[in-house]
Amino acid sequence: MKTLVLGLGNPILSDDAVGIRVVEELEGKVDQKEVTLVETTVAGLGLLDFLTGYDRAIIIDAIQTVGGQAGRIYRLDPEALDFTRHAASPHDVNLATALELGRRLELSLPQQIIIFAIEVADASTFSEECTPEVRRAIPACVEMIIQEINGEPRSITA
Amino acid sequence: MKKITIDPITRLEGHGKIEIFLNEDGSVANAYLQIPELRGFEKFCEGRPVEELPRIVTRICGVCPGAHHMASCKATDAVYHVDPPPAAKKLRELFYCAHIIHSHVAHFYALAAPDFVVGPTADPAKRNILGLIDKVGLEVGGEVIKHRAYAQDIQATIGGKATHPVCGLPGGMSKAITEEERQDFEEKAKSLIEFGKFGLKLFDDLVLANKEYLDLITGDIYTMNSYYMGLVDDNNKVSFYEGDIRVVDPEGKEVAKFKAADYLEHIAEHTEPWSYLKFPFLKKVGWKGLVDGKESGVYRVNSLARLNVADGMATPLAQEEYERMYHTLGGKPVHLTLAFHWARLIEILYAAERLLELCQDKEITDPNVRTIPTATPDEGVGMIEAPRGILFHHYRTDDKGIIEKVNLIVATVQNNPAMNMSIKRAAEHLIEKGKEVPEGLLNMVEMAFRAYDPCMACATHALPGQMPLEIIIYDSKGEVVQTLSRFVH
Repeated sequence: MKTLVLGLGNPILSDDAVGIRVVEELEGKVDQKEVTLVETTVAGLGLLDFLTGYDRAIIIDAIQTVGGQAGRIYRLDPEALDFTRHAASPHDVNLATALELGRRLELSLPQQIIIFAIEVADASTFSEECTPEVRRAIPACVEMIIQEINGEPRSITA
Repeated sequence: MKKITIDPITRLEGHGKIEIFLNEDGSVANAYLQIPELRGFEKFCEGRPVEELPRIVTRICGVCPGAHHMASCKATDAVYHVDPPPAAKKLRELFYCAHIIHSHVAHFYALAAPDFVVGPTADPAKRNILGLIDKVGLEVGGEVIKHRAYAQDIQATIGGKATHPVCGLPGGMSKAITEEERQDFEEKAKSLIEFGKFGLKLFDDLVLANKEYLDLITGDIYTMNSYYMGLVDDNNKVSFYEGDIRVVDPEGKEVAKFKAADYLEHIAEHTEPWSYLKFPFLKKVGWKGLVDGKESGVYRVNSLARLNVADGMATPLAQEEYERMYHTLGGKPVHLTLAFHWARLIEILYAAERLLELCQDKEITDPNVRTIPTATPDEGVGMIEAPRGILFHHYRTDDKGIIEKVNLIVATVQNNPAMNMSIKRAAEHLIEKGKEVPEGLLNMVEMAFRAYDPCMACATHALPGQMPLEIIIYDSKGEVVQTLSRFVH
């Protein structure tokens, strides 16, 4: 199964980079030919360009919820965020809307999309380092993704 | 195994807020826009070699990496007192035209058009690009995706990387383009011109032909008599990459024309205790609070401001459209905030025409794209018209080129006073005393803010792929009477 592992985030904005850090850790640990590792900072419509042509996509990103425990990992499917599609973003559409648009335009989008979201502590300070809580969650997330790639998904929390 | 259900709708942090305060009788007393702040960028840059900055600044936000890259390149040219060769400047401008198109297209089709085409008070579940294609046809979606991809391909080829360009260096560019690349760009530019015309036609048919929408655009709700600031070329035509900064007053008269390096003589920043963002104003006019008119130093940047300060567009098709807009809206300057959308469409056409001109320029494939800096670096200002308005990068280094101080003035911050005022004005007009405010009306308040295409440079790529915005209404005792989040539907 042609699989894309896509890490999202800003590499110089503390925990916002966690998706990118996870993909960096995966490099060298994943050697299947059909798996492609990619990091990017884009969102919205731009994500369609990356997702097109794969059977399966695993997306890793930061999330920030009220009272959320930093370092917690959530495994989501795109439907979990489906209700946000109507929302206008400051400059672009959200992921669910972009995917729906891509489907209607009959782009060859992945049949299966899984999202790993990691709760952040600080995503508003410029730094190349993640906070300790988030850094500690990276190995667990890497492990979850390797299992996901190998077809043994688990819903766990770090 | 533990399953956790999360509900990001009500639980997301780090969002922007519009707060509306009511008087005792239920009329609007005040309205404020609050945007969370990103911290420590200047400090992050200190101690790094200045030539690294063009690559670092592209990471400030995921929305306009191309604009920061170019402003930064120009600032490093200035720091090293080096003038790039002609082909390098043209190549940068070519790249930059593609960037403007890429950005403007997303804003218009994904954010602006749904308000008009689907309707400003329509069900929010339909008021998006999907609702747009339901109404106008699937092929619109295909055209948008195709032409955004064209603009992206051009940026990626010149920029050296898909999203975060690495092409610019002090004194020029890291590589030239080949004849094959030039031919490819030329074909894409031709198609982009057609797409630019298509956008204006769509605006004609669906917005201007609808009296209700035209009334909305020209009505009091979205009017503001401010100063305008924008970049013009030698002939006072709209320019994105290079030129002088021109300021016009609310009557359209030129009151200042200056070089980027002199920005501190013209722009000062006011602060308010309730906002992280500063409030830039024209120094020579002065800060008179959040009010419009000739006595107030509040100015606006972005598409309509660029058209208002200029004498026209430098390309023929865009010039026709420029004349048509001012003719339709009653002459210059236009103070109608929703006309920023129309101006944006004219700029897409201009950028596409300019793109084609540059692709057909004999010098564009010239391999000489770098002047090697030889002077001792010290201090410099770079400026560019970001899609959202003028962007300043100001760097000071030691004699080895190590950053000592960085100052950025971004477009959204320059529009911060105006955005607050536009929101308040819309709220005053739309919120009736003592009545529950329907979602549709709050969307119309938000439209006042959306016209500026604000980039909050934050959380734009934290799930769910955007920064949420909340509108909170308080009564005269400070109690929350109504809250609306973009996700609560």
